[in-house]
Amino acid sequence: MKITDACVYPFPVGDSSVQRYALEARSFGYDSIVAADTPAAEVCGITVFPGIFLTCIPAKDVQSRAKKSRGTGAVVAVQIGDNGFNRAVAGTTGVHILRGIHAADKRAFDHVAAKIAADNNTALDIDISALIFGRGHLRQKAIHRYLDLMILYRRFEFPLTISSSARSVLSMRTVREVTGLCSLFGMDEIDVQAALAGVSRVTDPGESIVKVIK
Amino acid sequence: MSIRPPTLREKRRYLLARIDPAGTILEAKDLYYATYEAVVSLFGDVAAAAMQPSVLAVEKGYVLLRCRRGAEREFAIALSTLSLCRDCTVAIRVIAVSGTLESLRERIATIVPKAPVLPGPDTLPTEEGTAGTTPCGYRFGSTPVDVVIRNGHKVDVIEKGFKNTRRLFLTTEDLETLHATTIPDGL
Repeated sequence: MKITDACVYPFPVGDSSVQRYALEARSFGYDSIVAADTPAAEVCGITVFPGIFLTCIPAKDVQSRAKKSRGTGAVVAVQIGDNGFNRAVAGTTGVHILRGIHAADKRAFDHVAAKIAADNNTALDIDISALIFGRGHLRQKAIHRYLDLMILYRRFEFPLTISSSARSVLSMRTVREVTGLCSLFGMDEIDVQAALAGVSRVTDPGESIVKVIK
Repeated sequence: MSIRPPTLREKRRYLLARIDPAGTILEAKDLYYATYEAVVSLFGDVAAAAMQPSVLAVEKGYVLLRCRRGAEREFAIALSTLSLCRDCTVAIRVIAVSGTLESLRERIATIVPKAPVLPGPDTLPTEEGTAGTTPCGYRFGSTPVDVVIRNGHKVDVIEKGFKNTRRLFLTTEDLETLHATTIPDGL
């Protein structure tokens, strides 16, 4: 079980190098990070997963991109769209994470999409940058969405991931700070630990629960 | 109003936090306003009044904060949402919580000698043919940069130029020495 920050943006999108992210992540209590458009690496004892973040593309293109990235070890994350899109993408093999629920429509992720995500082992991402940098209405909306998400999570038990969406090491938060922020919408420590281990759960599902014994 | 005897005083908790990025100089007053804004925007006026957040001192890159006993967890959460202090991007990392200021000052004294934050490039890759302590130019990728702060392997630099210069957070491995590849073959 690896404690993972599910999304960071290194240089040139951000202002910090992958090595620096890895150094900081180690001191913050993480075991691995998912870095956008970065080759897989092991830096300072931290596993760097390559991340492919897909935004504003149709479900068909998501399928082809997910197919291309299969076997590369990359973590494929897709920005949430409308309800139909989310149902289609949640059931797509090769898509690991659905991101951006904090800014999505109220009905974008419903119980049907949650069931599909649980069956397909697709994770939903909790982006803490919405809580850190959002103020007023935006933060209230994010907390509301996460509260809704937690209701569905308790019912369907789909995987969760937690990401800082950091464009700088200053935007990263320690595991303790993340636990505190997630307590704002009712996540306890066990839920947070499970969510931080969500990336390893979706990328390496391990043995299936049902074994066929001959 | 006269000062209350110790048994009637409100119990307080003191927090020690590190200011990131290293070398950032902040006024305690500015930090107080930023802290108060973070608490009020997250928990509201009523909770902020009950919490009584306060900034006591900024010392050696660390800040000493105070709140009412029992509210330190909420205060720490609010501090983790603090990202700007007077147009300066910062992060406040809570390190310790204590019942006395003295113990936190002792803690600072134990931390600071271990992690000296020094300006200058003496642990950085050196120019060929020069001693390690002489200052020289560095680049990150194709961008020439100036070293601002180094702390172990961590190096903060600023892009050289007249405009669009920004602070970059790198490590010693990321930096290359300027002109290191332009040495003539005959040498």
